[in-house]
Amino acid sequence: MEGRLANMWRLTVNESKFVETALQSELRVDGRGLYDYRKLTIKFGKEYGSSEVQLGQTHVMGFVTAQMVQPYKDRPNEGSLSIFTEFSPMADPSFEPGRPGESAVELGRIIDRGLRESRAVDTESLCILAGKMVWSVRIDLHILDNGGNLVDAANIAALAALMTFRRPDCTVGGENGQEVIIHPPEEREPLPLIIHHLPIAFTFGFFNKGNIVVMDPTYVEEAVMCGRMTVTVNANGDICAIQKPGEEGVNQSVILHCLRLASSRAAATTKIIREEVEAYNRERSLQKVKRHPTLAKSEVSGPTVAVKEEYRKSSDQEKAAEISREHVERLKLSPEELRSSKEQEATNFKGGPSNWDPYSEAMDVDSLKVSLASEGDSITKSSSKKKTNGSGNAQKDGGEISVEEVTGDLGKKDTKHKDGEMTLKDAVKPKKKRKNKT
Amino acid sequence: MAAKVSVSPTSLIDQIVVPGDVVLDLSNMTNQTIKLGSGLHQDNDVISAMRAGKLSFCKPNKYWVESSHKRYIPRPEDHVLGIVVDSKTDNFWVDIKGPQLALLPVLAFEGGTQRNIPKFEVGTLLYLRVVKTNTGMNPELSCTDASGKAALFGPLRDGFMLETSTGLSRMLLSSPTCPVIEALGKKLSFEIAVGLNGRVWVNSAAPRTVIIVANAMMNSESLSVTQQRIMVEKLLAKISD
Repeated sequence: MEGRLANMWRLTVNESKFVETALQSELRVDGRGLYDYRKLTIKFGKEYGSSEVQLGQTHVMGFVTAQMVQPYKDRPNEGSLSIFTEFSPMADPSFEPGRPGESAVELGRIIDRGLRESRAVDTESLCILAGKMVWSVRIDLHILDNGGNLVDAANIAALAALMTFRRPDCTVGGENGQEVIIHPPEEREPLPLIIHHLPIAFTFGFFNKGNIVVMDPTYVEEAVMCGRMTVTVNANGDICAIQKPGEEGVNQSVILHCLRLASSRAAATTKIIREEVEAYNRERSLQKVKRHPTLAKSEVSGPTVAVKEEYRKSSDQEKAAEISREHVERLKLSPEELRSSKEQEATNFKGGPSNWDPYSEAMDVDSLKVSLASEGDSITKSSSKKKTNGSGNAQKDGGEISVEEVTGDLGKKDTKHKDGEMTLKDAVKPKKKRKNKT
Repeated sequence: MAAKVSVSPTSLIDQIVVPGDVVLDLSNMTNQTIKLGSGLHQDNDVISAMRAGKLSFCKPNKYWVESSHKRYIPRPEDHVLGIVVDSKTDNFWVDIKGPQLALLPVLAFEGGTQRNIPKFEVGTLLYLRVVKTNTGMNPELSCTDASGKAALFGPLRDGFMLETSTGLSRMLLSSPTCPVIEALGKKLSFEIAVGLNGRVWVNSAAPRTVIIVANAMMNSESLSVTQQRIMVEKLLAKISD
């Protein structure tokens, strides 16, 4: 008990008095104006759907995951969205590990109301098989450092994580059409969530019996203020949620004033989030482009390389990103089919020269050897014909290096073969000559 | 277990050390007396660091690790800022950012007797001196200097208190005077009290000055001397407009 007492953060009489007197002359402890926001920085993790938001000293991490579950009975064709908060004792000594405290529950509820009840995330698109399988999206919010105004920071973290989240593409198939196939990210590009609008939370602190309104209160201000109100609005000016905890009553005019302030700020914050997400997406797609050319080189396929170039262009044009992605997927499918057919050809073609290899273990070789022994010249001609056919095929394939190699191989094998024939004939002819001579 | 020191010990001075680093090897420093400060630990013939920070050396023979923490470990004769948590008949319970609450005897004031026990409400800010720090006991504080005089110790009225790290408060107390305070003091008039436990109290007639000084000090933590001067100059130029 005593140890916990020592770990608590305490407010001095001096601080609370100073914060209030300074606010009387419209000054805030950190030098901001009354309606100024602290510096907002958004960072993203390596995985899809992870974000880190810093609002001044406040530090929140958001993480989005999805899982396939059975839908709720009353909503068979809607996915679900749930929010979980984790208040680490590292962030603030007053946070206790284990059960979520009152503030943790409140924070989760405010964000949940802002996101879910305003239908910001399209839950119907999360349906895979009506009544059987839907995606359940889970948002985890970790408070890493508490510098005041956790709600706003956590809300932005949740939005940023949702916007960068990608769920694996899945289709319904199988014999009865009830089997769900999940496509790995290598096979099909994971899909983003459909987000209709961004509900952004703004917290106001009230001082001096609600006469002084302050935006984005800091840790010290939160400890001193007599009331608080969180307004969730989007860039269009729609009010998505309002939360007004604390016992201090606030005038109607003050509330309206707060709403106006919030909606005027919403556009700017939305812009910051969108820009950051866009920059992240661009970086992601560029990384992907870097990874693919090595694959293309090793597999040798002209058309797919072209697809990738097109893909790069599409990734730059972010507005048309989704459409182009679908387009690319469609394109990808066709080259794959092409490639498979060509590969079959290629294997056949490779088999061609190996038939002429006297040391190969293939079954055809023996029969061919027999035929070779019986009629030598005619078959060598046919072999040369085959060779030309094969090289033609290779040129069609477009893999120049492989063509050269293969033709080189062919040439070597042919010359060997001819050498063998020549030596036989040479060996025979002198005998005849000798016989004739004798 | 004692790892051989590959570098000469003197080269580690003013370098960053991490816990476990062998700082000194006593086997080749016979007939010398050295004094170890915080963050160093002797294990037979080797002296190793126990905290991350800068290894400092002061002539003739003092070694310690200079580091910056959010939590304060009390040491005797440190001057700290404490917040009154509770008042009992014999002691005030005071929070000095340490692992335990500290005790301030009600008689530890200049001319303190049972008759004139001061009354502090919860949350009062006090400038104090650490007297005892015995293990297993709460640290003991006093509001007098060693000779029993009040000597500026006692409650701090008004003003604003900011929580910083121990490193920053030590920097603010260093001599010659910290460039931030020096530069600010040329233009503004203010009063500060710095506790070694990472608490700084600032007071001035105008709240504006308090806010400027407080933020300038908070921002100066990771800046070099010249950077600090430039920062303060810019700040002063901005407010004079």
